[in-house]
Amino acid sequence: MTTPNVTGLVVRDLSVRYGRVQAVSGVSFSVADGASLGVIGANGAGKSSTLKAIFRLVDSTATSMHFNGTSLQSTQPHHVVSLGMSYVPEGRRIFAGLSVRKNLMMGAYRSNWRHLGDRIERVYDLFPALKKFDSALAGALSGGQQQMLAIGRALLSEPKLLVLDEPSMGLAPVLIDDIAATLRRLRSEGVSMLLVEQNAKLTFGLTDRCIVLENGKVVKEGPSSVLRADPAVRQIYLGL
Amino acid sequence: MIRVGFGKPLLVALLLLLPVVLDSYTLHVAILIMLFAIVAVGLSLVMGFGGQVNLAQAAFFGTGAYVSALLTTTYGWNPWLAAPVAVLATCVVALAVAVPALRVQSHYLGIVSLGLAVAFSSMLSNSDLTGGAAGISKIPPLALAGLDLSGPRDYYYLIAIALILVVGFALFVANTTLGRRFKAMRDDVLAAAASGIEIRYYRLMAFLLAGLVGGVAGVLYAHNARYVSPDTFGLGVMFLLLAMVIIGGQDSIWGAVVGAVLLITARNLLTGVQTYQQLVYGALIVATVVFAPRGLAGAASDLRRRFDLPWPSIPTPWKARAVSPAPTRLQVVRPSPEGVALRVDSVSKRFRGLQALDGVSLEAGAGEIHGVIGPNGSGKTTLFNVISGIYRPNGGRVLVWGRDVTGERSFRMSRLGVARTFQNLRLFRQLSVLENVMVALDRDPAHAHIRYLIAPWIVVRNERERRARALRLLEEFQLHEVADELAVNLSYGRQRRLEIARAMAAEPTILLLDEPAAGLNAAEQEGLKAMIRKIRDGGVTVIVIEHNMNLVMNVCERLTVFGHGKVIAAGTPREVAANPVVIEAYLGQDASESKAAL
Amino acid sequence: MIYFLQTLVGGLGMGAVYALVAMGFSIVYRTMGLVNFAHADVVMIGAFLAATLFVTMHLPFVVAITLAVLLTAVIGLGMERILRPLESKDLNLMLIGTIGFGIMLQSVAIVIWGSFGIAVPTPIPNVPIDVGGVIVTTYQLFVLAVAGIVMLLLYLFLDRTKLGTAMQAAAMDRSAATAMGVNVSTSNAVAFAIGSAIAAVAGALVGPLLYVNPTLGVYVGIKGFAAAILGGFGSIPGAIVGGLIFGLIEAFAAGPLSAYSELLTFVVFALAMMVRQTGIFGERTVDRA
Repeated sequence: MTTPNVTGLVVRDLSVRYGRVQAVSGVSFSVADGASLGVIGANGAGKSSTLKAIFRLVDSTATSMHFNGTSLQSTQPHHVVSLGMSYVPEGRRIFAGLSVRKNLMMGAYRSNWRHLGDRIERVYDLFPALKKFDSALAGALSGGQQQMLAIGRALLSEPKLLVLDEPSMGLAPVLIDDIAATLRRLRSEGVSMLLVEQNAKLTFGLTDRCIVLENGKVVKEGPSSVLRADPAVRQIYLGL
Repeated sequence: MIRVGFGKPLLVALLLLLPVVLDSYTLHVAILIMLFAIVAVGLSLVMGFGGQVNLAQAAFFGTGAYVSALLTTTYGWNPWLAAPVAVLATCVVALAVAVPALRVQSHYLGIVSLGLAVAFSSMLSNSDLTGGAAGISKIPPLALAGLDLSGPRDYYYLIAIALILVVGFALFVANTTLGRRFKAMRDDVLAAAASGIEIRYYRLMAFLLAGLVGGVAGVLYAHNARYVSPDTFGLGVMFLLLAMVIIGGQDSIWGAVVGAVLLITARNLLTGVQTYQQLVYGALIVATVVFAPRGLAGAASDLRRRFDLPWPSIPTPWKARAVSPAPTRLQVVRPSPEGVALRVDSVSKRFRGLQALDGVSLEAGAGEIHGVIGPNGSGKTTLFNVISGIYRPNGGRVLVWGRDVTGERSFRMSRLGVARTFQNLRLFRQLSVLENVMVALDRDPAHAHIRYLIAPWIVVRNERERRARALRLLEEFQLHEVADELAVNLSYGRQRRLEIARAMAAEPTILLLDEPAAGLNAAEQEGLKAMIRKIRDGGVTVIVIEHNMNLVMNVCERLTVFGHGKVIAAGTPREVAANPVVIEAYLGQDASESKAAL
Repeated sequence: MIYFLQTLVGGLGMGAVYALVAMGFSIVYRTMGLVNFAHADVVMIGAFLAATLFVTMHLPFVVAITLAVLLTAVIGLGMERILRPLESKDLNLMLIGTIGFGIMLQSVAIVIWGSFGIAVPTPIPNVPIDVGGVIVTTYQLFVLAVAGIVMLLLYLFLDRTKLGTAMQAAAMDRSAATAMGVNVSTSNAVAFAIGSAIAAVAGALVGPLLYVNPTLGVYVGIKGFAAAILGGFGSIPGAIVGGLIFGLIEAFAAGPLSAYSELLTFVVFALAMMVRQTGIFGERTVDRA
């Protein structure tokens, strides 16, 4: 097991195959400690598969995939969160039949459950709308509240790197603004971020750097401010 | 496909010559094998082909036997009169068991049919009418024109002929339109319905065939054994039948026959250690589903493929023959190229707590390529599901060529000329590429299947013609080289293309494409653009949901833009692209950044 | 009226047993999505183990039932291990695989205990008590009490413990739970062990009510399974309600039409399934675009 002396997430030559379908082929990127990276691309470009591979939820190959020096490839799926990364899956994937509080507690499954009060209060500070639903079933929340819950749940493990998959999906613009504001606040508190989005503009506004995926390959990368002005990117995403 | 080779006549000859060399005990075992093979073929049709978990097959077998037994003993009927009535009664029972299958599937259907089977055995053992646990004895034998068929040798021939007829008929069904529709329904219910298959009817039909075959075997059993008791039709026998079909290979008629031969032979070899035989076939079932889910038939075809052995038979008769080219719809010009092809009029669709569509209206003119765009979750696919009859809208109307089709079911929409593809590929995975297309090409109404009984030659002729048309269509979509591959084995790009080919095989006037470009590479996307234009030039109105702006802007003539279940803009691509509301909605709102970015 | 109440009381005893069987099915289904047709035969094995330990080896009933529960839990763990590869395959294959397993368990029972079975005396003196004309036996009360305790313990485990919460989470969303740090394989194994253990309790309780024999699973198990589905597959309250309903339908059907009581029971069940596929407490899933 090689242990590169790099902090943060480093991925080299990641590939994911589902049967005959090559979803991701040879993708490389890194997210340094405190940095943020956006991944944009169309449906089926391999964005979600990349994240699932990092969290070991799908089989993958890579020449190197490390977080803070620990190889992810030799980490069991249920131990990844203990390394300091947490995951906000696409489509929220909250535990609909559990209460809001239990959902949050599940986020800190690897911690002692007796001392979670402060962490839960902190999430309620970030998302005041959730507080009054504390003991309600998560499935009864609205789409926006569920997204907040999914982010809050991921924060309960006090991650160094927050990985988000399409947090804006299916949300009304005003809610997207709320989520964006919260993510910006977390960034300012030093949480690094890996953000997968279809919403290119949201991503450009929240990240330092971006990669563009197409058919499972990185076709462009660079600082977000540069990519935002790139005519090719504008052509693909704005259709202009 | 049916292959008429040397194998089958040889097998038939062997079957008919066997009694000459067998002693009477072996003859008795052979009769039992043949009876079980018949029942197992019925189970294979309903479960392996139709995908209906039917755990009541032993009860069908029992119904045939008991009804015939009762009629000929208690009521003194002539066996030849009782036999058809018993078979008919079994068909009725099978249809009754099938009624729950209209609503429930998979394990729900498994437990419902198992429950009814348990109830059936318990009724046999407890009712006075059926003689309770003692059963019914002194059942008269079948006699033919004064010839008593009670001798094992004569009876052997009767059952052998029945077996040949049943297997022949089952193979005929399995390899032609009816069997193909069964398999399509098994592989993907939604896609099957969208290809014009009326699912309810075919579920009933699958059970009906299982009942028919089970009833025939039951009648033959009763008059051979001359005695029936509840044990013969209990759960033990049901599980034995299940083992035959699973081990032989679920969707193989021959597999069911081989399974019957193996298990009944094994059972008779192991008579001394009866308890262990159950252990053995239980273990065989577990091992088969874990290691060889397609059974012996699947393993055999894998082996053949691995060593590249040809099928031991002559190619099918209609494959070799040249068929006059029939035009396919791609070239056919619509009779009425004017007017509005599709009109969606303030359609709403609500799911529990989620307003997926909120008064959506859309109009696509004849021969137009109409794009539907909008962020994920904005209701685009829901609209397709409403138009194609998968969902019934809560409000509003859908009109196709001016005709109100709101709330029509999926198979009807296919027959009214609306075809579709699915966002996440829904091919008939275990059907070949050719068969996938043939399913959709097959526009025969369900009642046409009566031809299997009264005019089988028409079935064969239609099949031959359909096959030729399917091959031509595959050629147009450049899939003819892989015509015999299973759909599941194709590359992703080809699977996408096959789905469009299948939709076009239904000869639609309106084609709905749901994200056809997703996951395609640049070259494939170019091909897709050309294909969409060509389809339109053939007179088909195309509605396409797509995120790929390059494709949308270049191919579509008009666009409708969705946001949160509503239409937020419509117009030509240029108009839409210039609309600030669209830019905000489609790219997402980010108030502080929006002015700076654009 | 007395007849009605008497039948009602009679149905509750078996209903409680069906509810336990249904809970065993449900907990396995909700944690791993496995439709375990072999569960019926696990009930039967549990009944035989308890009967053997209690009747043949003269152990106290409490000891017998505890040992039976532990042994059955081990069988459950073994089955989970063998059936694990089926989990991700299609539901019909999985279902057939568990049927195969059930056939094996049944024949193992015949090999060990023979096909005749064991008559089990009640572990406590079975005294009829007259409550306003309705006769209730002490063993019926015992069955209801034990079933009630098991249900309460299961509820507390799922609701109040970390592992229980994790098992529920894993049932709702396997990969999200994994990402939170839950070892889903462990949670599945625990679910299977608990499911089998509850089956053993049901088997042990039903022993003195019926005759313990290798086909016990067919009658008690299948009705328990059907009860689970009727209540809403995977739902614990559904299992309890479904079980009691089955006990009652059976009791009321048994009186006038005993030969057709099974038929009537399952026809009612089939009709109920057609009216509401997802059962009484079942969740309707929402399709989204």
